[in-house]
Amino acid sequence: MNENTSGKKILSLVLLILGAVLLIAALWMDFSKTYIVIHVGSAKVALRGMFLVVGALMVLAGMYFIPTVMHHRAIINFIFLFPLIFTFAVTVIIPMFVGIFYSFTDWNGVTYSKMVGIANYTAMFKDPAFVWSLLLTVLFVVVNMILVNLVAFLLALLCTTKLKGVGFFRAAYFLPNLIGGIVLGYIWQFIFSNVLTTIMNSTSMLINTKTAFIAIIIVYVWQYAGYIMLIYINGLATVPKDVLEAAQIDGADAMKTLFQIKIPMIAATFTICTFLTLTSAFKQFDVNLALTNGVGTVRGFMGQRLSNGTQMIALNIYNTAFARDQYGYAQAKAILFFIILACVSLAQVRISNKREVEM
Amino acid sequence: MKKFLAIVLALTMVIALAACGVSTESAAPAASSGDSQAAAPAASGGIRLFNGKIEIANALNHAAEVYEAATGKHVEVESIGGGVDLQSQLKQYYQAGNMPDIFTCEGTPDFSNWTGMMVDMADQPWAADTEAEFIDSTGATVGFPYTTEAIGLAYNKSILDKAGIDPKSITGPVSMRAAFEKLDSMKDELGLTAVIGWYTTAKELYWSTGNHMFCNYLDAGLARNDSTYFDLMMNEGKLDLDRFTNFAQMVALFNEFAPADTASGNYDNQVSGFAGGKFAFVTQGSWIGASLTDQYKDLYAAAGNFECGMIPYAFEEGIDTILTNPPSHWAVFKDGNVEDALAFLQWLAGPDGQQIMVQEAGLNSPFASCTVVANDPFAPTITEFTAAGKTSSWHFLDQPANMAEDFTGAIFQDFAAGSINTEEFIQDMVDTIPNAINQ
Repeated sequence: MNENTSGKKILSLVLLILGAVLLIAALWMDFSKTYIVIHVGSAKVALRGMFLVVGALMVLAGMYFIPTVMHHRAIINFIFLFPLIFTFAVTVIIPMFVGIFYSFTDWNGVTYSKMVGIANYTAMFKDPAFVWSLLLTVLFVVVNMILVNLVAFLLALLCTTKLKGVGFFRAAYFLPNLIGGIVLGYIWQFIFSNVLTTIMNSTSMLINTKTAFIAIIIVYVWQYAGYIMLIYINGLATVPKDVLEAAQIDGADAMKTLFQIKIPMIAATFTICTFLTLTSAFKQFDVNLALTNGVGTVRGFMGQRLSNGTQMIALNIYNTAFARDQYGYAQAKAILFFIILACVSLAQVRISNKREVEM
Repeated sequence: MKKFLAIVLALTMVIALAACGVSTESAAPAASSGDSQAAAPAASGGIRLFNGKIEIANALNHAAEVYEAATGKHVEVESIGGGVDLQSQLKQYYQAGNMPDIFTCEGTPDFSNWTGMMVDMADQPWAADTEAEFIDSTGATVGFPYTTEAIGLAYNKSILDKAGIDPKSITGPVSMRAAFEKLDSMKDELGLTAVIGWYTTAKELYWSTGNHMFCNYLDAGLARNDSTYFDLMMNEGKLDLDRFTNFAQMVALFNEFAPADTASGNYDNQVSGFAGGKFAFVTQGSWIGASLTDQYKDLYAAAGNFECGMIPYAFEEGIDTILTNPPSHWAVFKDGNVEDALAFLQWLAGPDGQQIMVQEAGLNSPFASCTVVANDPFAPTITEFTAAGKTSSWHFLDQPANMAEDFTGAIFQDFAAGSINTEEFIQDMVDTIPNAINQ
């Protein structure tokens, strides 16, 4: 037993050291841009990548063979979790910190020349175009949260009645959600600019800021209501039949059943749907881009004439980075956007948890 | 048993991981030319050209085929255009380590993104053959001119002939209005939907209004090295009110005789309308010539393959120049396949390349030694103005990159839609331009 443990100890040590050496070698090759390719038969194998993968595996194996009873389970847990944690770190955690770092620089997308401290963060509140986008987005979110839920709930009620062809209608209402936002935006641009103008003999809705904003809301509700409708349909299906029957026997009419029984019974569904519409409306980008690209005139806002009357915050951030080359500034806006979204989502989850407990 | 199972599972995972790792890595050298080009030889020996001018995509692809047949070197042409932001696309490529070997830049702001990353091409033979190359602030020749383009008021000669209007007689605001009114009164018999294809949709055409039309205020009628009004705008944020008022009145004239969907139509409506003989004039430059003979050739043929020409945007009596410049240049990425890229550009500037670039792409050669004559509808008119020395250079490429998109484009749209009048248009421009300059 003792011999076995010491054998394991040596094996584990050798693997750990070898793995570490290979990892360091791979990193060194990456930083110094040394590029070595070996030929295995007809295939070319890059040594750097080979070193990295084999090194990482050796370290993991070395950890597995560490002769400990106490921590063995923890190590196994780590090894199995490692691929996910690593992927998550590379794609989410590290970029987020790099992003926060860039928001303090004057990065232009290619290089940065200096740190600017919190200048990016203070500048955005003096920028009328950004403040407008922020306020507009809040308005958009509020209007949409109400409209989408209202329309979706009504559609859900309609689609749970015993009409003929209900299945067809469900699918039809859901269909817009399957079309990408960009495509939708262009389709509706055509409808607003070419079809409706011909039918009604008027100018396009997209020319005027106010009507263009309404146009975005129409398209968004059209796109999203079907999706939310499905969730409501599911919610309505969970209302127990016996309760409904009892209500019917007690003489409750349809309205009473709806307001006194169905709606309270699916309160949880309402919170889920409110949450979904809230966050997705906040992040509205594709329809906005394809339908108006943010164009719209606003007069006398914070003493300026703005040309981005229909520009939501996500599009504003995108344009700041890609049209104005102010990547650092855009990054700062994005961080603010992230904070707002995080706060809203947390509040929403808090509230919904509370209500579910009460039920 | 449990332990055995654990080991088997662990091994499966390890093998799976190793398999993924090795296979992706062995494929890497060919694909990731971006992050380790220093020592990596270009796997295919080919180059990639990022073309920002979608109109000439077909001709460029053909040029690449001919070049490959002649030299065995592959050239991949990637064409993007129609309002796509080329620089942001390029930056994404750069971040992803997928930078093209030759890429498009339009003017100083674009080139300054890549300072120090472009090859100085002053020693190339073609550089001695042209005056249109882009030279940056350090004196390095970083931009290859592949064409020159012209901005002027394009007209359909057969329609003007039928209406009995000599384009040369339009020399100022009064004669322009007279011609427009005459055409408007004959709209039905000439088959016109509007006198002038003037579209202002800011979402789609901000570059046409905020850059091309606006630069006539900046440059029309001036000598090639004269940048008076541009300097006034950039340095002091000011417009010359007299000149701008005249310019605004010309725009008002265009609005009056524009199609009904002037504020909501798109580029396609505009160019296909002109190609189909629905407009007597159109406010697009010489680049639409290639579209007439390629993309819209059926419409153009149906309208009788009419002759085209250009007149100056004469918003003041005495403005007698059209604007000509290379619209953009091609730069060579320093860490790319420089040798092959330079060879391809030199070939393109030579007789074989120019043959394709001029005749098929309908480009106007910026090279003095080029003897090929373009069959582009606008080529004769450009040659005529150039020979007479009646051209001005344009400066909109040096204004803030987003000026038209984020500031002035929407004002042109409002003006055309009728939500502001001429005085308000002038006032809006005067108020907005400092914001664009000082952003």
